Amino acid sequence: MKKISIIIAVFAAGIALVSCGDGLKRKPGTVYMPDMGDSRAYETYADHSILEKKGIFYNNKPVAGTIARGEEMPFLLTKDLPGDTANYVASKQVANPVTSLNAKETAEAERLYLVNCGICHGAKLDGNGPLYKDGKGPFPAKPATLVGDAKYEAMPDGQMFYSVTYGKNLMGSYASQLSRKQRWAVIHYIKSKQSAGKAPSAPAAAADSSATAKK
Amino acid sequence: MIHLKSFAGKLIFGFVLAIVLQLGNSALAQDGKALFSQNCASCHAVNKQLTGPALAGVEDRWPDKAILHHWIRNNQEVIKSGYPYAVNLYNQFNKTQMNLFPAITDKEIDAILAYIKTAAAEANATPAGGTPADAKNAEGDNTLLFGILTLVLAIIAFVLLQVNSNLKKLSDDKDGIPSHEPVPFWRNKSYIALLAVVLFLIGGILITKGAIGLGRSQNYEPEQPIFYSHKVHAGVNQINCLYCHTGAQYGKQATIPSVNICMNCHMAINEYKGPKIYNGEGEEVNGTAEIQKLYKYAGFEPGKPWDASKAKPIEWTRIHNLPDHVYFNHSQHVVAGKQQCQTCHGDIPKMDEVKQFAPLSMGWCINCHRTTQVQFKENDFYSIYTKFHDQLKRDSAEAKANGRQLSKEKSGITVEQIGGTECQKCHY
Repeated sequence: MKKISIIIAVFAAGIALVSCGDGLKRKPGTVYMPDMGDSRAYETYADHSILEKKGIFYNNKPVAGTIARGEEMPFLLTKDLPGDTANYVASKQVANPVTSLNAKETAEAERLYLVNCGICHGAKLDGNGPLYKDGKGPFPAKPATLVGDAKYEAMPDGQMFYSVTYGKNLMGSYASQLSRKQRWAVIHYIKSKQSAGKAPSAPAAAADSSATAKK
Repeated sequence: MIHLKSFAGKLIFGFVLAIVLQLGNSALAQDGKALFSQNCASCHAVNKQLTGPALAGVEDRWPDKAILHHWIRNNQEVIKSGYPYAVNLYNQFNKTQMNLFPAITDKEIDAILAYIKTAAAEANATPAGGTPADAKNAEGDNTLLFGILTLVLAIIAFVLLQVNSNLKKLSDDKDGIPSHEPVPFWRNKSYIALLAVVLFLIGGILITKGAIGLGRSQNYEPEQPIFYSHKVHAGVNQINCLYCHTGAQYGKQATIPSVNICMNCHMAINEYKGPKIYNGEGEEVNGTAEIQKLYKYAGFEPGKPWDASKAKPIEWTRIHNLPDHVYFNHSQHVVAGKQQCQTCHGDIPKMDEVKQFAPLSMGWCINCHRTTQVQFKENDFYSIYTKFHDQLKRDSAEAKANGRQLSKEKSGITVEQIGGTECQKCHY
């Protein structure tokens, strides 16, 4: 009888082992001889604090004033202090270095707009993206209506660039997500959409007025 | 009779008047809503402080209606006039200037104020209740069931074998064939041999599985410093993967988003109101409390402008780790290879807590490189592979001429054919 219980115990242990393989895995598991597994050099996101303790200067940012190849020139206006709008107003004078986009560049600017801006300002630039959804989404404030609102259609490129770079009111800074060149290209895309939105509506309005005149 | 008639007429007139008035009122609030969303909603909400103050009860705070109207039209003039409440408010909001609305009429302002009143009353009447939708899915695992079934069948087989041997013994006794003393089953050599073989097989499978699993962490699902639900962000709210993981298009790392990217939205979104979320253990998670954790890292106090220099990095736990002797580049796969994130990371928009979907073993990499066809169309990256372009054109023209379908080998070029399985492509 004792032996039967031993056999049953062995089976139970086997089943327990097999069934433990699934389920929630909070630990990464074991490594056998992690030869060449860990980098000897400092990798992205590695903790650099040990270097600091040793008195070695390490800063993973490029040297101040570095301009990457193919990148636009730096935007010289700094962020306004709270309560000040001097640079925000001054930014109106800055011209957009991106003056024209070919079909491929436009497609890329549109893609960047949809990834980064469309989530709030809407794929149709109507200020009604998935995060707002007429006030039903999680974002409590109405994003700017880029096409169809006179205020934003009249806003100069430079001021838009200021807002995208440093953020304005509830909009955050997009400097970490888009390079200067990309920001200017996206603004060019928005401006071209705004003028495209105006162009067909003007003849339509004219047609309307002529129709009413005929009546 | 005449008296009655005129009374009925008055009654009907009264009804009509009441209905018209009612309609007018609701129309006022309706207009107010449209006007509010057009002019005010980008900085104000009814029950929540955004760039500007919450507007519920605004009429109680401004006792003089004329000054309130003046403030809405041109707040700068009111501040200059030195009206103390206005000056205080301006200073309290860090001298953020409100837009001027010189063209707005008294009627429109009244409509907006009427809308604010009704919206505030509605919000008071319905205290925010959580949606009862229970998103927990009870997907059963069949392994245990099969295990129990196997065990039951094994016991039945064992009992039948015992019965069989007993019956044989009985019939032998009856026929008078001398039978030897029965051996108990645990001393029966064939049983012991069977058990040994079964244990050997199970042990072998377990050891092989364990050895293969060494250094791999498929299904690894660590607890993160903040319960960040990809389901809520990428699934429900449809945020593109590249919004946060910007680097996946440009380089080796997909990049963990900085606190700044979180705060792009969470400066305004400070509470979680979506469907209930659960952690891996099945416990409910309080989304609003998790957003508060983010504020602690960011050094942000709701209602005050955020000073990004006070932010501390969030130390997320890395899930996908490749050993140092393998080179993997995200942009190579996302941009040149035109692969979807989900191919390797699984259905992230459905995961509350992310776990490692793929084994990330070499066999897994190679398998994909052998079967995936290179997307030559509209892809500058492979435009120099003219030989393959010509071959593809020739094959498809040939197939067309013969009126046949392209065979599987000729319908495309796999990654392997352009050198995707050469050792030094990934190990160098």
